[in-house]
Amino acid sequence: MKKCGVLRFPGTNCDFDTWKAVEKSGGKPEWLWHADHFNAKEFEAFLVPGGFSYGDYLRSGALAARSPAMDSLREANHLGRPILGICNGFQILCEAGLLEGALIKNAGLRFVDSWSEIKLVNPSSFWAANIKKDERINLPIAHGDGRYYAEKDTIKKMQDREQIWWQYVVNPNGSLNDIAGIKNEKGNVGALMPHPERALFAWMGADFGKNFFTALGH
Amino acid sequence: MKIGVRIMPRSELLDSQGRAVFKLFKDQGKNIESVRVGRYVELDIRLSDKDQALKHAEEMAESVLHNPLIENYRIEIL
Amino acid sequence: MDLIRKLKHYRISQDEYKKIQSLLKREPKGIEFALFSALWSEHCSYKSSRVHLKNLYRENKTVLQSFGENAGIIDLGEGEKIAFKMESHNHPSYIEPFQGAATGVGGILRDIFTMGARPIASANYLCFGDIQAPRMQELVDGVVRGIGGYGNCVGVPTITGQTEFHRSYNKNILVNAMSVGYFGPKDVICISRAKGVGNLVVYVGAKTGKDGVHGASMASESFSEDSSHKKPNVQIGDPFFEKLLIESCIEVMNKELVVAIQDMGAAGLTSSSFEMAAKGKVGMEIHLDQVPLRDSTVGPEEILLSESQERMLLICEPKKFEELKGVFTHWGLEASPIGKVISEQVMRLYWHNEILTEIDPDLLVDNCPAYKREFSEWKAKNRLSELKILVAEEKENEKTFKKIVGSIEGCSRSWIYGQYDQRVGARTERDANHSVSVLRLDHSNRGLAIAVGCRPYVMRFDAYVGGIDAVAYPALEMAAKGFTTLAVTDCLNFGNPEKNEIMSEFVASLKGMNSFCEAIDAPIISGNVSFYNETEGENITSTPSTGLVGLRSDKQSLPQDSFQNKAERVYLVRLPQIYFEGAVNNNAKGLGEFNISKLAYFIKSIEKMGADGDVISSRVVGKFGLAYALFRMASLNIGVEIKSDVMAQLLSEPRGLFSEVFYEVLFSVKAACDFLNRYRDNQYHIVELGSTIAEKLILGDKLVVSTSELNQIYNSGWEANFEGLA
Repeated sequence: MKKCGVLRFPGTNCDFDTWKAVEKSGGKPEWLWHADHFNAKEFEAFLVPGGFSYGDYLRSGALAARSPAMDSLREANHLGRPILGICNGFQILCEAGLLEGALIKNAGLRFVDSWSEIKLVNPSSFWAANIKKDERINLPIAHGDGRYYAEKDTIKKMQDREQIWWQYVVNPNGSLNDIAGIKNEKGNVGALMPHPERALFAWMGADFGKNFFTALGH
Repeated sequence: MKIGVRIMPRSELLDSQGRAVFKLFKDQGKNIESVRVGRYVELDIRLSDKDQALKHAEEMAESVLHNPLIENYRIEIL
Repeated sequence: MDLIRKLKHYRISQDEYKKIQSLLKREPKGIEFALFSALWSEHCSYKSSRVHLKNLYRENKTVLQSFGENAGIIDLGEGEKIAFKMESHNHPSYIEPFQGAATGVGGILRDIFTMGARPIASANYLCFGDIQAPRMQELVDGVVRGIGGYGNCVGVPTITGQTEFHRSYNKNILVNAMSVGYFGPKDVICISRAKGVGNLVVYVGAKTGKDGVHGASMASESFSEDSSHKKPNVQIGDPFFEKLLIESCIEVMNKELVVAIQDMGAAGLTSSSFEMAAKGKVGMEIHLDQVPLRDSTVGPEEILLSESQERMLLICEPKKFEELKGVFTHWGLEASPIGKVISEQVMRLYWHNEILTEIDPDLLVDNCPAYKREFSEWKAKNRLSELKILVAEEKENEKTFKKIVGSIEGCSRSWIYGQYDQRVGARTERDANHSVSVLRLDHSNRGLAIAVGCRPYVMRFDAYVGGIDAVAYPALEMAAKGFTTLAVTDCLNFGNPEKNEIMSEFVASLKGMNSFCEAIDAPIISGNVSFYNETEGENITSTPSTGLVGLRSDKQSLPQDSFQNKAERVYLVRLPQIYFEGAVNNNAKGLGEFNISKLAYFIKSIEKMGADGDVISSRVVGKFGLAYALFRMASLNIGVEIKSDVMAQLLSEPRGLFSEVFYEVLFSVKAACDFLNRYRDNQYHIVELGSTIAEKLILGDKLVVSTSELNQIYNSGWEANFEGLA
């Protein structure tokens, strides 16, 4: 039963969904408001939810990444705490420098809502740890800026250091190397564009998403 | 000839991006009066005569690059 | 300005001017022209429709709030309630499709959360013209981007909709937006009746600019030649700001810091303040100079008429104001007191120390004209006098089938809803890729169904039949999944009400709709009227669109929309009241009449079948008839073989493969289920069609087609029709 900080920015609209996912998995969620610093030591894990923080204005995640709460999250990262970013959360973590690369406009220039099949490339020791390498799962995607981009040598480095976490089986947005999710070098920070909190129960269409939150219940 | 087209929201209409960025800077205590966010288009026009190139760019700006209902534009030689 | 020009500028008729003079017992002065212009516009006052709307079936024991508030509310039991409403944003969307559609979504969301309900779903009903008509591709693209852009950012899933194409909408597209909001057991319902002398009138949200000044009166008149040159009455929506408003308003309402609240929609500050005062039978003193402004050149009349988006007006006790302001500040919003409630029933508007007007709000809200527009008694239209086959034999072939499936009317809409976030909120069980969308309710986990309705081609056949169909068809779709329709909202889109033939269609379709709502006990609890959808004398097809919500009594699994496996048994449940030539022909003609009480019984019976655990899939036969409905059931490439004698029997009636019979419903069931005997009833017929098979549709001796080939045409149809749209 882990105490989890759930980051919340003006405009974050998957906040309640993420909270519910943590709670239903047996974790103890607590809000971390963007404008306030928090004591990173008091939490065992962190989630940066999806949605349109600051309306995605200027660049997706750009304004949220410059919040006081993100200073505290950097501290949490130094402490090695597990941090999961989902969709806009992925964008915010890249803008804040906790992950490498950037998410830019989908290649088709339109928002895409659909189910996507993703493959686990390099497992995380904390997030979705019970899914095995090369296993495929279905999760919903819903994004306008989901196209992952990084410089060639960054990608090579990430591949060598097993930082590529998930890849799309069929690339929906033009992401380089079909990247759907990545980890940091230490492996405590992971982020992906698909939404596991939207696939918790069979009635939602699939329940693969619950694997991402099981560790929070222990 | 390289020509820049600077497209900004009309001043009497709401600039939602400008408003959001302004608030961030205000909360950070920056010394700022206002922020407006637009976009910039660079055209590389295949005409060497300045007046012709400007006219060509203006036609493109008028017909496609800006939405006259909600935006204004300015053209400059780069 | 001389009087004639002044009245024209404010869109006030000579008769209305005389009425104003008699109500005021003097000449109107200064800003009073602007007040009457806004509040007596068709859009705000419903002056052409009020006499008819007051007779609607609008209450039953589950209705907590019907007409008279910003949205209707029904009780779902177990402490849960739903608020919902539909509204039009037709004229602005034709002028600027992205912002017009976006602000349409924003506006209807505000009508929902102003009641204290958290918006949990959006839906829309769109009518476009010929795809080749001028500007049409740009309009389709702009509207869809606008709906998606606003809905996705504000965090409400856009989970169902309907999109029609017909040349009658070439110059008047329709963009109707619906929103559904949820109250859990602990959530507070808020209304808009101002009360409490001395209470503060508080302005919340975005600063006021010059956006959309005269927007309401613009929406109330027909387009003419030079409408495209209209100076921008364009309102810009900001879904990010709206999201902040949703969170902050729900928080202050649940903390009971708010006495009354209303959003500033059409006619902005004027309509909200005057309506709140009139409903509460109080007055207000308002200092217009205290209204937060986006630009300092905005004057008092512009403040009153501005339609700047994302603003609310609320009433708050002075002792609670600090706490209320604290909540809004937390969310980054301003809350500014601009006046107070007074006991004298008068609106006293100040500009600095000058009193601009002192006027009884009732004069503008309750005393606006209620026109009895001329109409004629309805006579059944387009009926054939004899039984004959309505569809030409030579069209009953594979070529026609492929053409229908790939046509703009028949092809997949996934290009549209693939741009809408379907699952934000984590409540979505069935998304827009289904005939009926379903959400799970937070507290009880029950399924709530949402569907929109109205089929313009049926309206073109007969307005009375079309009005019934506008509710009956979506209600049948709900019933086929085991849902009971609980209540209805509507958006009545019509042409010029000053023309007898238009008003006659309005009255007839409303009568049909209302009679049917009463028969199935689904009251009409909210709605909107959009008149003057006319350009250069040409009117749209009369289009009374509807939004329905439904509930299932149990938590059994829902029937699918398609055959799942081979060897399912397929049945057609029929009550053939009207034989219709249908969408495959250009002249819609038909044979027969509706019997409303029999139809209501039929729907109840279908509902029992839809709730049966042995039913695997179901679908209502609609546009393009039986063959098309069977094709849609074959989306997983499982088709069906219909025995020759069965097919011949069906075709011995006046119908073809692609013509519609009102109504028929398809069911596929587990092989062991004796569906026919379980549901045998002399009030309708059940025909066993055959069993599901792989890969093919075999329609007796008439036609054999490959399902994968048709599915491919169906899925690529949209791109094929719209070359310009990526």
